[in-house]
Amino acid sequence: MRLPLGQVLCLGKAAFPKQVFTVSRSAAFRENPICAVGGTLLSCSRHYQSQPTHGIGRFRHLAPKIVKKRKERVQMKEINPGTDYEYGDLNIEIIGYDMCLVEGYARFVHKLCQNLSVRVIGSYALPTKTTEVMVVQEVGNKMYMDAVLTTHQRVVQVRSLSATFAPILLEIMQSNQPEGVRLSVKEYTESDFKIRLKTRTELEDLMSQLSN
Amino acid sequence: MAVETWRRRGALWLPGIMAAPTRASWRLLGALCLQRPAIVSAALSPMEEVVARLMQQLETERSRLSDHEVRHQAEEEQLRHPKDRGDDLASSSVVLARDLEEVWEDRFQKAELSPRLTDADKNNDRTSLNRKLDSNLTLLVKQKVGDQELWLLPQMEWQSGETLRNTAERALVSFLGESLTGAKFLGNAPCGLYKYKYPRAISTEDSMGAKVFFFKALLQSSHLSKEESKADCVWVTKSEMEDYLKPEYLKQISRFVVDL
Repeated sequence: MRLPLGQVLCLGKAAFPKQVFTVSRSAAFRENPICAVGGTLLSCSRHYQSQPTHGIGRFRHLAPKIVKKRKERVQMKEINPGTDYEYGDLNIEIIGYDMCLVEGYARFVHKLCQNLSVRVIGSYALPTKTTEVMVVQEVGNKMYMDAVLTTHQRVVQVRSLSATFAPILLEIMQSNQPEGVRLSVKEYTESDFKIRLKTRTELEDLMSQLSN
Repeated sequence: MAVETWRRRGALWLPGIMAAPTRASWRLLGALCLQRPAIVSAALSPMEEVVARLMQQLETERSRLSDHEVRHQAEEEQLRHPKDRGDDLASSSVVLARDLEEVWEDRFQKAELSPRLTDADKNNDRTSLNRKLDSNLTLLVKQKVGDQELWLLPQMEWQSGETLRNTAERALVSFLGESLTGAKFLGNAPCGLYKYKYPRAISTEDSMGAKVFFFKALLQSSHLSKEESKADCVWVTKSEMEDYLKPEYLKQISRFVVDL
């Protein structure tokens, strides 16, 4: 019966096992040159690709292939209040001059809806509008610029708000409104979606030229 | 719960159509909780004021210079060390940043801020809308219920064929003479319910008691034509309601009247 390396026939004496052990150790060294004395990696025969556990975490080849195609974001379908008495998509618009107040209030409304388990579909910002306030000079007829006002607008979109809960939500939002901020709740329409998109002037020019 | 809905349905049907059962039905009333929202934000508590001041100081120290301040600094530099050029800043007709600041300071000094405590506050005139600008005011009306004159939220009897919200709107029009655009109803759903049974003497088979459904509305304009009101009406905050209302009624109402 062949004994594997490292095992020893118990023969009673302590010295004997030690001898055999050293022999086995040196044999192991020969087989595995990586842990040779010297420290640096002497051999480059790495085993990781032929290891039985190689590729153990791979799953992408099993999942269905998704082809990402570039398309315009389609409008979400609207749910009209039916017998369930729920509103469809609602836009909660927050408009004001002071950006900190507007953004803080938008954050508050978003968190409030989440905490009250009202489904929030999205929240976005509309581009800032700059208004120049011109004042007629007291002395002459010329107008000079008095102030530059920036109007900021944030929108929180909410879906299927139940009609029994809507008055409570409205009241909470209205009573927590900061000064100088306007709140407006509207139904989401196609025109609201179109406002966010930029017009392609060159395309329109070319189209008009084609049709002419 | 099923018994309640059965009873309510009993009220909607005419007595002749109903089959013989002797269940009592309740009278339905629609009431209006008209609130004038706060006009001025509530004053900060001392702790809030300290924190606000600290945050303001921190933010000013950490913030960067705005366009106006950058321009101001550049102009000050130029005035201090005028370079020998043709155009001298002091003599040219360009408006300096510091001149603008002076103009703005003047305008600020001249502006008068309206006071937080109005005359109505000092006189404690409860019929005017101009008091307690930082809290919600609710309308209370003196109405005759049964044989007693009570202070209540304005209510009217429900008539078949109209929704309960229409009842509340009728109450609004009859007590204030206000057109419907003056008050904005928050929704079609009632915000509260108060039901009471009639005392033994009055209760019959048809009417065991009454149920009052409350609807909330917010007042849009802060001015009302006072001459139109036909009954005594009073605008009170939540804490002042105790002087007018009965304790059980008050308990049910304070569940939906909110005052931050």
